This record gives sequence, C-alpha cells and structure tokens, in this order.
Amino acid sequence: MKRVLPVTNAIIAIVSGVIVLLGYFFPGAFQGIQSVLVGWAIIIAAFALLLGIYNLAIVHWKKVGAEGQGNLYSVVLLVSLIITIVVVGFSGPTGSWSLWVFNTFQVPIEVSLLAVLAVVLAYAGARLFSRKPKWHTILFLVTVLLVLLGSVPLFLIGEIAPLSALRGWLSQVPAVAGARGLLLGVALGTVATGIRILIGVDRPYGG
Amino acid sequence: MNEIICPLCGKPNPPDREICQFCDAPLKTTGFLASPDDQDIFGQFPPPSSQGGEPSDQSAQPESTSSLEQAIPDWLKQTEANFLEGDEKEPGDLTSDKVSEEIDALLKQPFTPAEGEQPVIDDEWLASLLAEAGVGELAQEFQPEQPVGELPEEGETAEIEQVGAEPEESEPPPQVEPEKPEWLTNLEAASTIKLEGGMQPSEVKHLGEKKTGLEEGETKALEPTEVPEWVGKSSFAESPPAIEQPETNESEPPLAPAEIPGWLEALRPVEEKAKPTGPMEDISAADIVTAGPLVGLRGVISAHPSAIQVRKPPTYSIKLRVTDEQRARVEMMQELLAEEQKPKPLPSKPIITYRHILRLVVAVLLILPIIWMIVFRSDKSSIPQSGNIPGVIDFTQQVQRLPAGAPVLLAFDYEPGFSGELNVAISALLTQLFGKNTYLTLVTTTPSGPALAESFMSNASAGGNVASAAYSNYTDLGYIPGGTMGLLGLASSPQSVLPYALDGKNVWAVAPLNTVTTIADFDAVIVITDDPDIARAWIEQVGQKLQGQDKPLLIVTSTQAEPLIRPYYEATPAQVQGMVAGLAGGLAYGRAVGSQPANRIGDALSIAVTVSVLIILAGSIISLALMLAATNKQKED
Repeated sequence: MKRVLPVTNAIIAIVSGVIVLLGYFFPGAFQGIQSVLVGWAIIIAAFALLLGIYNLAIVHWKKVGAEGQGNLYSVVLLVSLIITIVVVGFSGPTGSWSLWVFNTFQVPIEVSLLAVLAVVLAYAGARLFSRKPKWHTILFLVTVLLVLLGSVPLFLIGEIAPLSALRGWLSQVPAVAGARGLLLGVALGTVATGIRILIGVDRPYGG
Repeated sequence: MNEIICPLCGKPNPPDREICQFCDAPLKTTGFLASPDDQDIFGQFPPPSSQGGEPSDQSAQPESTSSLEQAIPDWLKQTEANFLEGDEKEPGDLTSDKVSEEIDALLKQPFTPAEGEQPVIDDEWLASLLAEAGVGELAQEFQPEQPVGELPEEGETAEIEQVGAEPEESEPPPQVEPEKPEWLTNLEAASTIKLEGGMQPSEVKHLGEKKTGLEEGETKALEPTEVPEWVGKSSFAESPPAIEQPETNESEPPLAPAEIPGWLEALRPVEEKAKPTGPMEDISAADIVTAGPLVGLRGVISAHPSAIQVRKPPTYSIKLRVTDEQRARVEMMQELLAEEQKPKPLPSKPIITYRHILRLVVAVLLILPIIWMIVFRSDKSSIPQSGNIPGVIDFTQQVQRLPAGAPVLLAFDYEPGFSGELNVAISALLTQLFGKNTYLTLVTTTPSGPALAESFMSNASAGGNVASAAYSNYTDLGYIPGGTMGLLGLASSPQSVLPYALDGKNVWAVAPLNTVTTIADFDAVIVITDDPDIARAWIEQVGQKLQGQDKPLLIVTSTQAEPLIRPYYEATPAQVQGMVAGLAGGLAYGRAVGSQPANRIGDALSIAVTVSVLIILAGSIISLALMLAATNKQKED
C-alpha cells in the first residue's frame, strides 16, 4: 500500500496537470474536462480554507491550555473567531451586523498597522546614517527622497516639475526594468515547477 | 650461634624461628642449621674455585659436619632412638634413613677380630643393602683398619673424627658390645659420611683405598694423635672427594712434556698460536650463590626463586589522599565555578530611551500635520494632473467607453488596510460606472473581499454621489476560492465557479448575467488590488481571455504595487489597458471624471510626504554629524 499510494497520487497529479495544460492549447477538446478538474480544485481549496481555520483554532486552543506567555492573545483570537462566526452565521456575510464588525474592528486595525508602518519607515530612514554609510545606503536614501518629493505636490511648495520628471523616469525605467526581471524570473520558475510536477520529479502532494 | 638458612630465600634466620623472617617460608621442616661462619649448608661441597685446596674453605668443613648433625630432624632422631630401643620396623617399611640408622646400630656392635671369623649379618635386607652398596667387600678389606673418623687430617679429618666419635659417645662400653667388628665400624663411618656428606659409594671406595694404604703400615686401629705426618699432608682433605685426583707421589718425577715433532708442530693451526684465548672473566670476587639449585657456584646468575617468589600483592587504597593545601585549592575552585554558574541579572533596561523618544517625535511630526489638515479643512495643495500619472487617462477612457447597462466584473481584491489609499480611486470609479448604469458583478479572491465590497457599496450609497437606483444594479458573487485556479475557473466558466450570489439568488438566470457564459462576456473587468501577485494572477488567467475579445482589463492598485503592474500596462500589446495607482492616481482620476473628493486628503498627503522627507533629511544630517564627530574624537584620541 505504501508503494501503491504514491504511484497513484503521481499518476493523478500528472494526468490532471496535462489535461489542464492541454486545455489552454486545445480549448475545444479539453475545455470541458478542464473545467471539471478546475471545479474540483476550487472545492478542495475551499475545504482547505475551512481546514486551515479549524487548525488555527486547535493550535490556539492548545496554547490557552498550556502555561506561558501569549495565552491572552490566543484567548482573544478564539473569542473573536467565535463571535465572528456566530454573527456572520446569523446575519449573513453581507449583513448589517457583519459589516459592523468588519468596519469597526478589522478595517481600523489594518489601517492602523499601515499607519504605524509609515511612522516606522520614517524613523528608519532618519536613522539610516546612524551607522557607517555605504554607497548603496546613500543610493537607497537618495532614491527614496527623490520619489517622495516627486510623487505629490509638496505642502506650500507645490509640484516641482524636475522632481516629478525624475520620479517618473525612476518609476518607468529602473523600477519597471527590475519588475520585469522579477516577473520573467517568476514566469521561468513557474514553468520549471510545472514541468517538474508534470513529469513527476517534484511531488508536493507526497510520495 | 647457629642460624637457620631459609630453603626458599637462602637468608639466615635465628634458630628459634619456625618461619623465615624474610619470606615466611617454614624453616623447621626443611630448613638447615648453619654455622654463623659459614652459612653455606652445602659447605661440604667445595666451590669450583676452592678446588685448589684453599685452607679457608677447608676449615669450614668440620663445622659443617656438626651442623649436619644438628640439622637432623627430630623425627629422624626419634626413629634412631626407637631403633636403638629395638622398635624395628618391617623391612618393607624402612627408608634409606632408617637403613642408615640400622647400619649405624650394627656398627656400634663390638667387633672381635681375634676370632678371625667373617661377620655374620643376620638381617637379609641389610646384607642385600650392603651387597648393593659394595660395602661387603670393603668391610672385609677394612677389617683390620681403624674408623675413618680417626684420620689425622685437618678439616676433612675433623669431620671424620666427629663421625668416628659418635660410637664412643653413644655406644656402650666395649665389653657391652664386643661383637661389633672393626670393618663394620669402618662401614659405619663410610655410611655416615655418605648419608650426611652426600658421598658416593665410589668416594667411599676411594676412602677405603686410602685406608688400605694405611693398612699396609699398621695393623692396629690408629688414634687421631697417631696419624702419620704424611697422612696430614694427604690431598684427601685438600681435594674434594667428588673429584678423583691421582695421588701424586713426591718421589715420582713429574711428567715431562711430550716432544712434538717438527712436522706435527707445523700441522698445528696457526690461529691457535696467533690467536690468543678469549678473555677470561675473573670471578674470584663474584658472589657465591647461597641458595637455589646453583648453590655454591661462583659468578653465575642465581636461579634462586626470588624472581618468582610469591608475595602477597600490595594493596593500594583507592581513597584519594588529598592534602590540606590541595583541599583548600579545590574549595577555592568550587567557589569560583559556583559563582560562574550563577546567572547574572541582566542590567535593567530603561523604560524610556532616546529611541523611544525619537519614535514618538517622528510619530507626532507625522500625525499632527495630518490632523491639522483634516480638522481645519485645508485646501492649499493642488490636485495632481491626470496627465502626469501614467494610466489614469487610459483608465478613464476605457470606463468612459463602456456602454450603458453593460455588465462589468468588479473585483475587490485588496486588504482593508489599504482602504484609505484606494477609496478615492474606487469612489471615482463607482461614480463613473454608476453614471453609465453598468451592472456590477462583485467578486473577490480574498476572504475579506465580500464584506469590503458590500461595505464600500453601502458607504457609496449613503454618500449620495450617484442615483440610488444605480446602487442596486449590482450583485455580489462573493469569494472565489482556489486563488489562481479559481480565477482560471472563473475565466472559463463563471457560472460553475460562482453559481449563486451571496443572497442565494441565481443571478446567472436573469438579465443581464443570463447572457454571460465566459469572462469575455463582461464588457470590462476591473480589478482593485494592492497585491502585485493577485494582479498578476488576474492578468495571466483572465486577461488572456479578454484580449481576443477586445474587452479591457483595468486595474486600480496601490502605490507599492504599481512598479510590478506597470510592465503589463506598458507592454505591446498591453495586457492592462488602464491603471490607477495610489492616492495621487486616485485624486487625479477623480479630477478627471469630475468627482471632487475632499481636498483635505490631498493636503494631508502633501504635508505627510513633506514632513517625512524633512524627518529623513534631518535624521540623516544629524547621524552624519554625530558619526563625523565620533570619528574625529577617535582620531584625536
């Protein structure tokens, strides 16, 4: 059984991947079965989301039972999870009570986190030269200042055209070049990973 | 004072000891008495070096005789006494010692040579013994002789005297034992010498021969004082009895060396002449082995069993002996180690450090201007032009080209934390879309998307920017699980992936979605996201379905995701037909579509960016100054 299951898993994964891939090249022949397989994958992914929520609850439930610091956070998480499930269960995902919980707790908390991130980034930029600066440190700091100054009109100064043009050049040439390099790398990596899975060399499903 | 020589280690011991004081070996049973002058109990055997007849060695021999007598075990003496008393044992039980005792007893019997009769030996065993020893003949020859002990020889003669004196001490008066023959007396002496001195029968025979020599001159037993002078110079005492040397006659000339012929001399090997003999080791000063099988030999390695002497193995205590000084050092080391193992309390950190203060200062500098702009409704900053921000004009034109009532797929795939940045653009977008009376189909690939979309739609309705009828012209299909796979399924078959709306209605059966079978049936797909990966998934999975149908894919994104999305927008052909990025893009897009967002947001953004730049510049300058000051201080030091 230990030998049969890995082989079976590999066969299922390879055949499914090949069919879905062929669906891109031959939509007429493989579109139907591709849609079926994709539908199954979506259901499994949805179930995986529920499984993840269940696992999260179990982990924090064990933390609450165990002694040590951080139990309070686990308690807060479990209480919040239960309350949200109860409220959304009764009110619905877009009900008024659900939206109240969402707008009252989740949105302000996440926005506050980003606000703190802005303060931390400004503080880090101010202390960037606290240690012995290097050439890439100076380059990074200069780039940050130029992009900030050219992004929006400055207060009581207005828009500085040269800085805006320089910011545009930085965002269109160096930034886009780097982004395209990243995207090409991601694409090549995705292709390589897909080929490895299709030929059975890489088996993330086990075996 | 006599000492007992230990038979095991060979060392002298006091006579009163029963065991050796050196090796604890028993002394009484096998030990021998030795005179203090000569500890060699085998002194009767002259060492090889004494064969020349040294007087010192010879003088010790008479005393060794008495020591041998003393060395006779008690049991032997008792057996002798019993024998004399008539307790004769069976012949078969007799040992050699007992035989000698019986012989001694027979020797004590008086001898009447006048009768001229042959001595009659009653005991057959004694006769056979004498016959075996060859003493019978000697006895016949020694008939007229005196006892050997009466020899006038120094040294050896003293021993013989002593042996010969025994019959005088122990035997009764001659009239009591008249039947003891003379030859038997001689035999007694010979037998005693053999037993006590270890003489061989041949030696006894040699001795008899000497006596026979004496017999020629005298027919009567000689007294010790009557021994002739030549007897005293006899080599009998000078030469060991074990080595038979021909008695040299002074009258005879010494043998002349043979004359070797010349031819024979020439045949002799030259090496013999030229080569001297090997060096002879002088062992005169070497020690004499006093114990073991090589006793009496000089200059040899003793085979004394001392090398293999069994001794009680020494016992060593396993208890560590530590001196006071060592103990003190150990205690000191233990104290040092104990102090090292004690956890040292970390220095308590101050509650407020300069870093905390600096963070608070930065936060206050950022927050206060923003609050001031919002509270006082500042309107001093200008709104960015749409032409200065890439993608805004194209985005506006693509939305503007949508037909009225066209189905539009709107994806809310951003996190709630980016609401402040994206809400301006989304508000302007919804204003434009609702102005077109488009049918919005809301989807999301994030779990919080449905609530975010519904919340935003509710807020937009409450704002009253558009007609209330437009707000109901949408449907929320909810969450698309599976990420990229869900988007592929949505692109291929939206009805199968999201068959029902969040309110449970089958929107695919009513207009305008009843005409939608694929993603390309929507007139436009607008994605609102802050994540470049999500944007890439939409572009890769959905955009390629739209390109062939000339349906736009528009993206509203955050400033941080703009660099990764712009390549798709600037590609040829473009995979993204329009893009609005960040707060500045939202303001520009709102300005383009006629939506007038609160200008205080622009002022707050402007002053926040300005303050941030100032903080970074000030901090960098201060840091450089401090670093230069520290460097100069180090150089001065």
